[in-house]
Parts: sequence; structure tokens; C-alpha cells
Amino acid sequence: MQGIIPILRMGDILLTTVHVELRDAVAEGFQADVLSTIERSHVSGLVIDISGLDMVDTYVARILAETGRMARLMGTETVLCGMRPEIAATLVRMGYLMEGVHAALDLDEGLELLRELRARP
Amino acid sequence: MSHRRYMTTLKLDEAELRARRAFCELTEDDLQRLRGLRPLAEKHSAELVEAFYALLLSHEQTRKFFPDEATVRRVKRTQSEYFLGLFEGRCDLAYVEDRLRVGAVHERIGLSPKWYLAAYRKYLALLHSKLGSELAPADAAAAFQSLQKLVFFDVTIAIDTYIAANIETIQRHQTALRELSTPVIRVHDRVLLLPLVGAIDSLRAQQIMDAVLLRIVEEKARCIIVDIAGVPVVDTKVADSLVKTTASVRLLGAKTILTGISAQVARTIVQLGVDISTMHTCARLQDGIELALDLVGKTIVDKDRPRGAEGG
Repeated sequence: MQGIIPILRMGDILLTTVHVELRDAVAEGFQADVLSTIERSHVSGLVIDISGLDMVDTYVARILAETGRMARLMGTETVLCGMRPEIAATLVRMGYLMEGVHAALDLDEGLELLRELRARP
Repeated sequence: MSHRRYMTTLKLDEAELRARRAFCELTEDDLQRLRGLRPLAEKHSAELVEAFYALLLSHEQTRKFFPDEATVRRVKRTQSEYFLGLFEGRCDLAYVEDRLRVGAVHERIGLSPKWYLAAYRKYLALLHSKLGSELAPADAAAAFQSLQKLVFFDVTIAIDTYIAANIETIQRHQTALRELSTPVIRVHDRVLLLPLVGAIDSLRAQQIMDAVLLRIVEEKARCIIVDIAGVPVVDTKVADSLVKTTASVRLLGAKTILTGISAQVARTIVQLGVDISTMHTCARLQDGIELALDLVGKTIVDKDRPRGAEGG
């Protein structure tokens, strides 16, 4: 189930927008896609926009956080952006703190945060 | 009507009615016996009501509920209806609703349960002596038993009405308090401030988190300062809720700064072993505001001494 969620490359940043429900195979396919793209092309940042998701269950949360941690091992920082407030509250209440990924309010902020992260020594 | 609402609040339906009647051991036989006493009740109704009000009017605390003669006449009439209602021989939902209405009226005028219950004692005493003088001893005892069951049934409903009314008041106050308890203020562009005052329980902690997250999205905030100078006790639960709020705030791309940490609170947090390293912490709100402005790329400078001048 790879290739369902498009991954765009902008300079040295990868940009993806998750707009479909991440079900088992789709989620794993997405993770594999992201990681192989990072492997192929040298990028310093990954932006995952989830503003289109009304619901994020623990499985999806785990996949997203894992992808971020895996990307970091390959030298790429991940910014998750556009999470709805109620989703943030629910995830934290369930103990999903999404460590290993950065977060931003929207896409604009996410790209700015990546720029800031790169500027840091 | 308010007493209708109480029917729902108290979940008074057929099943509940059956359960209550069973617990009072109030049977159809009792109701029939009371119905048989109706002529007797009618005969003495006026006299009993007079004696009952003689008690109420002879005490200052209860007299104030009857400011004038017209009121007294009116309530005596209502009382007489209520009294005869005991001898209707029925105890269904309509009866319960009628009794609830009585309780609701008492609650509304502020007649507290202590007077209601104590006055009921007088009622029973009056009825007891009347039954004793009118009926054969065995019949009088049986009649009084039946009467007592129905009276206690009435009392449970009246007391429940008082409680339901009080719960309703508390809920109304809680709503008002909730609105006041999470005032998220915009200090500057993209900087929010939440001054917390008073104890934080789990319900309030949840409301705080929800309110903060919503406002962060609304204001596109980068930073929220949580000032806990007004929180009397910071225990594990409170600290944990602050850590959770920080974690969820982070998921929206914002940072949390905790200010107003007193020596006592600092000591407690460390002694409890709560890890709050995820948030920036400051002793004073002023430092927190400066830190927050720094995070959004702004700074406060003295008018006559621009920043950078102090060093050289």
C-alpha cells in the first residue's frame, strides 16, 4: 500500500499531507515511503501535515512518532503540524507524548521551525 | 415547571415508585385502609389544620413564612387538600408529582427541612390522638401504621426534592466557576497568559487543558505562561496535570512557561520527584513574560538605556 500518500520534495525538505485515514497497511506503506525517500535524497527536514485528520488513534500516533524517531536516526528532523487541539489533548491523556518529533501549529510555522532548527549549531 | 424537572432528576418513574413503596412496605391494603378513613379525615380536617398552624405560628422561625392573614388562609386551604390527599387511597406517579410540588415550594420559599420534619411530627401526633379517640384500639393501631407508611413515603420525596434543588444550585455555581476558572489572556502577539487561582482538581485540570489548547490555536500562540502563584497546593496530581498540559501544548507547536513558583512549591515538586523539566520555569511572572517575549523574538528595553548599552 505504498504511494497512497504523496511525498513532495521542496529543496532539502520533504513535505507530506496526510489526508486519508491511516489504516494498518497504508500507515506502514507511508512510513516505508518516507524512510526510503530520505535514504535516496539528502534532506534535512520532514514536515507531516495532519490538519486533514479529524481523528488520530493510538496506532497512527505511534506510527507518526516512530517515523519521526527513525528519520532522526537518518539525520532528518520531523515536524508534525496542524494537529487539532482535541487530538493533542486526547493523545496526551492516553500517554502518547509524541517524543522525537517537533510540532507546529500549521504548515507555515512548521517550515519556519525547520529553518530555525537548521540555523542552530 | 420546576417540580417536573425534579421528577427527571430524581429518576422517579414507575420502577422507582415501586421500589420506594416496597421499602416503605406501603401496600394496596394500606391505601384501601386509608381510603376508608376519608370520611373521618374530612370531619376533622379543619380542626387538625388549625392545630397544626397554631404550632407553626407560635414560633418565630416559621411564622415569618406567613406574613399576613390572607397567606395564612391560603396555606390552610392548601394544607387541608394535602392532608386529605393522604386519604385518597392512591399512590401513583401523579401523587408523587403532587408531593414533589410541595417539596419544591418549600425549597423555593426557603423553609428548611428541619422545620418541615419537626412540623410533620406534630401532624402525626394530632392524627394519632384523633384515631385513638375515634376508633377501636386495634383499628386505630392498624390505621396509624398505614398512615405512617404513606407519611414516610411523602417525607422521602420531600427530602429528595430539597437535595435535588441543592444539587441544581451547586451545578449552576460550578458552571459559573468553570467560566471564571480558566481566564486565558493575550499578553502580546502570540503570547498567552493563564493566571491560575485556587485549588486545581482533576476536573478543573481537564478544563484548563482544553481551554489552553483551544486558545493557542485561536491566537496562533507560540508561548503560554502559566502562573501558579495563586494555587495554594501543588501536589503530584496538579504537577502531573501541568506536565500533561505542557505535552499537549507542545503538540501544537507552542511552549509552556511556568511562573509564580514559590519556595514551598519548588520544595514540594522536587520532594515529590515530579519531573517538570519539559517546561521553562521562573519564580516571577515578570521573568516569564520576558522569556516568552524572547521566544517570539521580542524584548523589553528601558527607554533611556537601550539594550546592549549596559555592557559597554
